[in-house]
Amino acid sequence: MSAIPFFFDVLAYSAIFVLVVLGLGVIASMMGIFNFAHGEFVLLGAYTVYLVTEQGLPAWVGMLAAPFAVALVGLILERVVIRRFYAAPIVAMLGTYAIALVLREGVRMLLGGQFFNVVAPLVGSFSIGDVLISKWRTAVIVITALVMVGSYLLLTRTRFGLQVRASLENPALARASGISIGRIYTATFTFGAALAGLAGGLMVPIYALNADMGVPFLIKSFLAVMLGGMGSFEGSIVGAAFVGATSAALPWAIKPVVADMLVFLIAIAIVKFRPEGLLSTWRK
Amino acid sequence: MQDDYKHKLQSYSRRLFLERASLLSGMVALGGGSYLLNPKGAWSADPIKVGIATDLTGPISWGGIPNSNVAKMVIDDWNANGGLLGRPVQMILEDTATNEQLAVTRVRKLVTQDKVDVVFGGITSSMRNAIKDTIVNRGKTLYIYPQLYEGLECTKYLYCTGPTPAQQCDTFIPWLMKNGGKKFYLPSADYVWPHTLNKYARKVIESNGGEVVGEEYFPVDHNEYSATVNKIMSSGVNVVFNTTIPPGVAAFFKQLYEAGFSKKGGRLACVYYDENALNITPAHEIEGLASCLDYFKAINDPFGNKVQEEYNKLYAAKNPLTAGSAATGMWRGLNLWAESVKAAKSVKRDDVAAAMEKAKLADGIGGGCEVVPGTWHVKMNMYTAVANNGKYVIVEKSKGMVDPKECLKA
Repeated sequence: MSAIPFFFDVLAYSAIFVLVVLGLGVIASMMGIFNFAHGEFVLLGAYTVYLVTEQGLPAWVGMLAAPFAVALVGLILERVVIRRFYAAPIVAMLGTYAIALVLREGVRMLLGGQFFNVVAPLVGSFSIGDVLISKWRTAVIVITALVMVGSYLLLTRTRFGLQVRASLENPALARASGISIGRIYTATFTFGAALAGLAGGLMVPIYALNADMGVPFLIKSFLAVMLGGMGSFEGSIVGAAFVGATSAALPWAIKPVVADMLVFLIAIAIVKFRPEGLLSTWRK
Repeated sequence: MQDDYKHKLQSYSRRLFLERASLLSGMVALGGGSYLLNPKGAWSADPIKVGIATDLTGPISWGGIPNSNVAKMVIDDWNANGGLLGRPVQMILEDTATNEQLAVTRVRKLVTQDKVDVVFGGITSSMRNAIKDTIVNRGKTLYIYPQLYEGLECTKYLYCTGPTPAQQCDTFIPWLMKNGGKKFYLPSADYVWPHTLNKYARKVIESNGGEVVGEEYFPVDHNEYSATVNKIMSSGVNVVFNTTIPPGVAAFFKQLYEAGFSKKGGRLACVYYDENALNITPAHEIEGLASCLDYFKAINDPFGNKVQEEYNKLYAAKNPLTAGSAATGMWRGLNLWAESVKAAKSVKRDDVAAAMEKAKLADGIGGGCEVVPGTWHVKMNMYTAVANNGKYVIVEKSKGMVDPKECLKA
């Protein structure tokens, strides 16, 4: 009977991971920038939901607002700071790390270092036989699937997506063809930030709101992007699903402390044998 | 566009480097996170210096902020009432920023540069272990540690004023057996406090005829617990004695709730859960959660209410005065120390330490307390409370003060 909770758990945790990694993957693969402030963008999304519920409005209103609020922050940061770093990706990492610290400690000050909860729009669970399945986690799985498909279509089937991919592939030629790559980069970064904001908004009912809520996801998210292979949107998703699934599945069999290390070991081994990413063969 | 930035990076001149380096070194030299709080009014005597080293920033600031608030409130009260030994009391506050390396330099400043007469602070055990040598051995200064902790700290001149495992388990676990059942599960974060506390809890559980079905450790930032929840649900566990910590604890309690643990008659227990922690999860998810601490607002004692009223007037409600954040331990420590200073008529370390051995408070927040001579720990009242619709209800009070049972000579 424990098969249902096992598969549900693996699916639910993978969904949360994919949601977090989507935005990071878009920015990393389309712009070559590892955004260390991604966890804090997630945090800002969660904080937006908290602020909205503090005003007495329902949580789903906050969840709708979160991507826009964080997109705005992303837009401002890109215009003011990030764009100065495109030539130097290593400096960009440090720069975004600094932004992360400022955002995290800023939110911590606003929250007085405390933890706060947000009640999910769907409370409780439904039952399949003896097993109780969380309603909100189910909702997160569905929303993640929709966002995933939506983002994929945006990047592969629209004019904007074409321009983004052109700018990534060959910036000089893209510019010569009349694409304003500065503007494309701004839009991509803003889009990535919005996805992070959405992830934070949807996650906050599952995890308590606190300044460090984005931190545990950050390193594993980078791992996911590395696994999927830089420069591919689908790769990031597959990498995220892999990291999420192993993180959730291993503790069913072995000690959680060991499982945590094993996730990294397995991932490093894969990167060693498949440095181009999990989908490298398929893409060829 | 990219070429412009490359050019700028290449033209990074020596002058520019020197300008920036001097700015940076200036910032480092001035330092941040150090605050001098001078006593109000005109005083002729030299001040007594009290060092407070606590985490005002970083992940443990939820505890550090109320700790410094309580210290400031108590010290201001002393000064408003003539100070100690006719001298004003100056508070020197250092932000240890939830960073042990940084904290060592901060307390070194307190003991060598400021030459404080006593240091209060530290929330986590790792922080206490990091700074105690600098304060007690090298700095030859008295150190008072306020947080509930795992015990086994038997260092001369280091007084622990928060509850120990014996105080939190001896009456609590039998209560849990009566009001939950005999099968226990111990999900825990993987660091020193849960490991040591569980060892003690297991002893109490087994000696009372109970059984530990599982004891499991998670990385401190773990946030996915369904494997454990499944084990708990399928093994007929009656009591979940939790020592996983925030933020992961929110996900754990939610998954436990969604799996129907409490609904099926299970009892959730967590000994650091205070009024502050009630915010971590929605009220319905932790309905029936039991906790055992040295103070809850719900005990409604006149003394505690008065302190609360004063505290709430001074500080915003965002950082309330609670037991789990060490704020009550800080209050107790400060007052025991002040009593000792008055009794010794001195602030010298050995004089105060000798008086500390006999220190007691007839009344205080959560009731009176007294130092157990030769053990550097404090006897205090303990209360068991159960979460009921987002508030605590007291279900049991200890019969008198509970012994910390630490540092006993065989």
